[in-house]
Amino acid sequence: MYVKSCMKTHVVSVLTSTTIREAAAIFASKHIGTLPIVDKNNRPLGVIGIRDLLKLEMPDFINFVSDVDFVHDFGAVEDTRPSAATLKKTVRSLMRPVVTVEEDCGLLRAYAMMLQQNLHDIPVVSKDGKLVGIASRVDIGVMILKAWEKVE
Amino acid sequence: METFSIVLSFIIFFGSLVLIFLEKINRSIVAIAGSVLMIGLGKILGFYSEELAISAIDFNTLGLLLGMMILVAMLEPTGFFEYLAVLAARASKGKPARLFILLGIITTILSMFLDNVTTVVLIAPVTILISEILGISPLPYLMSEALLSNVGGVATLVGDPPNVLIGSAAGLSFNDFLVYSLPIVLVSWTGALFLLRYLFKKDLAKRPRRSKAVMKLNPAETLNQPETARRILIVLGAAILFFFVHHALHIEPSLVALSAAAIALVWIQPDFHVVLKKVEWSVLLFFGSLFIMVGGLEHSGALSMIVKIFEKASGMPPVLFGVLIIWVVATLSAVVDNVPITIALIPVIKGLGETGLDIAPLWWALAFGAGFGGTGTIIGSSANIIVATLSEKTRTPITSALWLKRGLPTMFVTCFIASILYMLIYRWF
Repeated sequence: MYVKSCMKTHVVSVLTSTTIREAAAIFASKHIGTLPIVDKNNRPLGVIGIRDLLKLEMPDFINFVSDVDFVHDFGAVEDTRPSAATLKKTVRSLMRPVVTVEEDCGLLRAYAMMLQQNLHDIPVVSKDGKLVGIASRVDIGVMILKAWEKVE
Repeated sequence: METFSIVLSFIIFFGSLVLIFLEKINRSIVAIAGSVLMIGLGKILGFYSEELAISAIDFNTLGLLLGMMILVAMLEPTGFFEYLAVLAARASKGKPARLFILLGIITTILSMFLDNVTTVVLIAPVTILISEILGISPLPYLMSEALLSNVGGVATLVGDPPNVLIGSAAGLSFNDFLVYSLPIVLVSWTGALFLLRYLFKKDLAKRPRRSKAVMKLNPAETLNQPETARRILIVLGAAILFFFVHHALHIEPSLVALSAAAIALVWIQPDFHVVLKKVEWSVLLFFGSLFIMVGGLEHSGALSMIVKIFEKASGMPPVLFGVLIIWVVATLSAVVDNVPITIALIPVIKGLGETGLDIAPLWWALAFGAGFGGTGTIIGSSANIIVATLSEKTRTPITSALWLKRGLPTMFVTCFIASILYMLIYRWF
C-alpha cells in the first residue's frame, strides 16, 4: 500500500511572496493545518503549519512554566494579536524545512516519519520533485486500519 | 627566588581572573587549571604543596553552600516559589505598583536565606506569566527582582556567597550579620526600591489590560508536592533557628546546613540522583580552586606585598578607608565575579589586622561593596545574567544598556546610603 492511495490530490500551496496575513486567511478559508510553500515549478521549498502562525500569539511564559493548570484565565494573552508589521512579513520568515515523501512511499514508513518529525501532514512529491498531494496522519492511519478488515 | 615566586603566583592568579572576566572559558575550568598550576609551580619553587593547598580550602564555606544547595534542590520541584508569586499577584489585585513592591519583597526575603540565583530562576518564570496575563511588560519586575535580591542577600550570613566567605574567615556569626549588616542593608534596600519605583514609573503607570485574570490564578494548584514542601520548610525553619544560636552553641554554620540537609533527605527520601544533579558542583569546585590559588598567593609572599601597599593607604582615617573599600570593591564587583575578589581580599584584610589595625568594620565594608557592586552591570552578578538570559527568550529582552540605566543608579544609591551609615556608625570607633 502506498501513500498515493490515500493522499489528497487537491493541495493548497503558496509562493514565498505570500504575506503572513494572506496565509492566515488561506488556513481559515480552506480549513487546513499545513501549508506547503512552493517555487514557480511547484517544487516544495518549505512549509508552515497552523502552529507556526499561532506561535505569534502564544505567551512567552509557556516556555518557562511547565504546568499551567493553575492559570485559569490567560487574561491579556487571550486578546493579544500579532502587530500589523508582523502580518505584513512574507511566509518565508516563518517557513520551516519541508519533509516530503514520494508517491510510492509505504504507509508505515510515511506514518513513522510523521511521528518522529512531529508532523501532522506530509506533502507528497512525484519522481521529478513536484508537489502532487498531501496526506494527514488520519488519512494514512485509516488506510492502514482498512487492511485489518481482510485479516481472517 | 622569592621575588620570582611572588611574580609567578601573581601572574597565575590575575591571569585566571582575566580569563574568568573574558568568559570565553568556563570559570570553574579556569579556576581548576589555575589552582593545579599554582600547586605545580609552588612545588617546583618550594613555596606551596598539596598539604598546604588542602589546608587553604575553607571547608566551612563549602559545607554551608552544599547544605543550602541540597535543601533548595528539594524545595524547587514542590512549586513553593510559584505559590508565593501567585499569592503576591492576587494580593496586588493586578495593580502594577503594588505587584512591583510585593514581588520585590518576596524575592528579597527568599534571597536572604537562599541562593540569589535559585531564587531568581524560580521567581522569574512566574513573573513573566503574571505580567503577560495582565498585559504589561515583565521588564521592570524581572530587573528589580535581580537587583533587590543582590541587595537583600547582603543582609545575612547565608544570603550571599561573599558573606559566607567573610563570615567563615572572620568568625562572624549569623547574629553578627543581623546586628551589623541587616540594618544598613534594610535602609539601602528601601532606597533601591524607591529608586527603581521611580526609574520604572512610566512602565508601572500603564494600566494592565486584564487585571482580573490574576485573581483566577489558583495558588493551591501550584503546589505539586504540598507534603514535601511542608517538610522542607519545617527543616529550613529549624535550620534558621539554629543559625541564630550557632555561635552560642559553638556549632559552625556549615554543620547546621549539612545537618538540615541530612534530616530533610532522610525525612523526604527524594530521588537522590535528581537532587544531586541540581546541586551546583561547578560552583563548589570554583570556590575550592580559588581557595587553593589564593593559598598559593599567601605562601609565595605575594599577599603580604599587597598588604604593605594597602597599609600605606590605611594611614588615612579608618572610617574613610572603609568607605574606600566599599566603593573600590563595588566597582570591581560590577565588572568581575565578586567571589574571587572577596576570596583574594580576605587574607589582605587579615594581614592588615596583624599590623594592629581594627579590621572589624572593614569586613562589613567588604560585604557591602561585594554585594551592592553586583547590581551595577548586566554581568555584575549571576542573578543578573540569569534574568537577562531568561528575558532573551521573551519578546522583551533586557539589553546591557538598559541594565546600566537601571542598575548603575541602584549601585550608586545603595553604596552611597551604606557609606553614609557606615561613617555615622563607625565614626566613634
